[in-house]
Amino acid sequence: MPDAAVISQIRLFQRTPGVAIVLVLLIGLFGAIAPGFLSAANLANVLVQSTILTMLALPMTLIIMTEGLDLSMGAVLTLTSLCVAIVSLATKSALLGLGAAVLVGAAFGTVNGWLVAIVGIPPFVATLATLGIAQGLSLIMSDGQSVVGIPHSVRDIYSAAVLSVPVPIIIGLASYGVFHGLLYHTRFGTYVFALGGNREALRYAGLSPTRLLIAVYAIGGTMVGVAGLLMTARMNSGHPTAGLGLEFDAIAAVAVGGTSFERGNGWLLGTVLGVIAVGVLRNGLNLVSLPSSIQVASVGALVIVALFLDGFRSRS
Amino acid sequence: MSVASPIAAPSPAPLLELRGISKEFPGVKALDDVSFAIHPGEVHMLLGENGAGKSSLMKILCGAYCADTGEFYYKGAKVAITSIADAQKLGIAVIFQEFSLVPFLDIAQNIFLGREPKGRLPGTIDRRKILADARRVLDTIGFDIDPSVIVDTLGVAQQQMVEIAKAISQNARILVMDEPTAALSDREAELLFALIARLKADGVAIVYISHRIAEVFALGDRITVLRDGRRIDNLRPADVTPDQLVRMMVGRNVDMTYPRHFAERPGELLLEVKGLSSTTGISDINIEVRRGEIVGLCGLVGSGRTEVARAIFGADSILEGEIIFDGQPVSGEPDIAARRGIALIPESRKSEGLALMRSVGDNLVVSALKKLFPSGLYDPRAAQRTADGLIRQLRIATPNARQTVGLLSGGNQQKVVIGKWLAAGAKLFIFDEPTRGIDIGAKAEIFALIDRLVAEGAAALMISSEQIEICHVCDRAYVMREGRVAGHLTRSELTEENIVRLGMHDA
Repeated sequence: MPDAAVISQIRLFQRTPGVAIVLVLLIGLFGAIAPGFLSAANLANVLVQSTILTMLALPMTLIIMTEGLDLSMGAVLTLTSLCVAIVSLATKSALLGLGAAVLVGAAFGTVNGWLVAIVGIPPFVATLATLGIAQGLSLIMSDGQSVVGIPHSVRDIYSAAVLSVPVPIIIGLASYGVFHGLLYHTRFGTYVFALGGNREALRYAGLSPTRLLIAVYAIGGTMVGVAGLLMTARMNSGHPTAGLGLEFDAIAAVAVGGTSFERGNGWLLGTVLGVIAVGVLRNGLNLVSLPSSIQVASVGALVIVALFLDGFRSRS
Repeated sequence: MSVASPIAAPSPAPLLELRGISKEFPGVKALDDVSFAIHPGEVHMLLGENGAGKSSLMKILCGAYCADTGEFYYKGAKVAITSIADAQKLGIAVIFQEFSLVPFLDIAQNIFLGREPKGRLPGTIDRRKILADARRVLDTIGFDIDPSVIVDTLGVAQQQMVEIAKAISQNARILVMDEPTAALSDREAELLFALIARLKADGVAIVYISHRIAEVFALGDRITVLRDGRRIDNLRPADVTPDQLVRMMVGRNVDMTYPRHFAERPGELLLEVKGLSSTTGISDINIEVRRGEIVGLCGLVGSGRTEVARAIFGADSILEGEIIFDGQPVSGEPDIAARRGIALIPESRKSEGLALMRSVGDNLVVSALKKLFPSGLYDPRAAQRTADGLIRQLRIATPNARQTVGLLSGGNQQKVVIGKWLAAGAKLFIFDEPTRGIDIGAKAEIFALIDRLVAEGAAALMISSEQIEICHVCDRAYVMREGRVAGHLTRSELTEENIVRLGMHDA
């Protein structure tokens, strides 16, 4: 039972659910033109494949709510995925691989937060720099080659199912649950709204915006670490370009989902719908055999359409 | 406005006393040996022009700034206020002009920001308790609203009430209000005054910063006047006249009746609005403005004054009626209106009127670029000449045209906005609250400037909530009520009583 705060949040966004319209239109479109799109197996596949993006887009929502951005997520994902591959290859332990990935991810997130909150570098520039560092480290660690031969215990995470629900979907739902609780039911979540909405208010309430901001980026890095495990499991290898450009999809999903880049106005459920919309779009274009270059352009167009719908509806 | 109670006998030990407070910023002495005492159940008015040191004093009081020298005494005992937490412990709460609210949190979350009741799980919030607590606080200030409403959906006055609720919830014994009525309509201000009376009765001490002389006498039990960082005087309303107060604030004689050269007979018709209705809820508006006239547009906040201005300027779409400017109909877009010579000088000049980070010169010529440089090539020297000419003509107080506009005082920023339109060749100036946030000395200069503009053949339509200003400055005025023109007042009929009577819903 969602409480009043959540209900009023939802009500606020009910006026402009551009993402819902986009999602329905996309499903309708591909249902009509893409053979096999509406099959249960394919729809489940869309959801499974959306898991990693969900795990990036949820913390990205929080970061964007603070009027920030994390461009390093894709590159750090590559790096954490390689960490999982290399460590699990050496130790035969998925858990140690996960541990290493989480440590590396959290470290990058903390550095991002430190650069933004304390050094005062604009998020765009700060995370662009760490993007480069993560990318370089990935190339060094992998020597530009895929890391193969990782243990089954890692690979099975992606293909396993509990009560015939694929594990990735469970992880995606759990991630949403955690972030929903965090944003709408904890003091920390309340302060995330304030970080973007009115930082001065936090200061007058005796809270440290600096520490909160670092925490938001650190949470993002940590999630990227966990997502690294799924990425390695999914590819059954560590690959030096595994996460390439995923920050683009994550930011697009957040934007499509109706989170504003100003004043701390965010909507987590919208982000999840945005992730699914991006997933549906890519899957549908795959089914009608359009190349991935077209997919990237389409995701860009999707952002514009969704924001246009939002803006158009809120004006009229 | 009459909640001032008979002055209680001064209690021996003030609730809070500041002695010899000084604060220096690089190049400015913001406060110089200021002392002042706050007693429980008293409204202490803090008066002064912009830059007199009111804000600095307030920020020191609430711990946001640290005083360089000086001492604080709480109930006679020496205390230190070096942080916001120190001030909060002493029960000092501030209601800032820029609200300290988070737009996309609800009222309850805003009231208890940083003090949320703990839920069962670590880090969580007890939602039921926060709503109940907020309900209780809102009840004490008589604000009937659901505490789970998102603050962004509230109007300015309601947000102000949330600010007050927030302060009250901290068990504030000393409440500092910075121009609380600046954004309120008269009716909303009445509610605020009633609340202040209740707080006084509870023994809360209120420090009230205001530009409005009338409020000082209606509310104040004690007045402290600041000028150039120094305390000029500390007195009681009964011992002083408005003129004396103004003189103390500005340090020179300012005539409260603004200079105005009323034309013997009005000039030719410049603007004619016939049966105008727009999508923003105004209907059947009929207005005329002649050259050489300053015409007032008054009424309560929300009565449609700004909407009329926007419709004339073409910023909102028109449903019915016509607008004839200088003999020809205007329609449609703001850039067409601007090219024809209609200038709209909005209330929020910071967001709509000026590029604050750019220079005075750039701002002055920006609307006239096409006129000054028809070839499309920018000639910095020609721009400089135009800017310098306007700076002299409008007496803008700036070291030179290269000064950043954001660093000028409010009054001088307002002059830059006017100059910008003047350069573009505007004939009709529509002012929306031209004197909001401007101190008294600058007000007189702005009005003198408007007077010169119309004497030279321009015309002005002036929206203002300050009825006294309308009465002093305008040739005549239209009074709006609920989206319609409720009445027209000629020069001889223009009194505050008549404006209020026409503007009130139940008149």
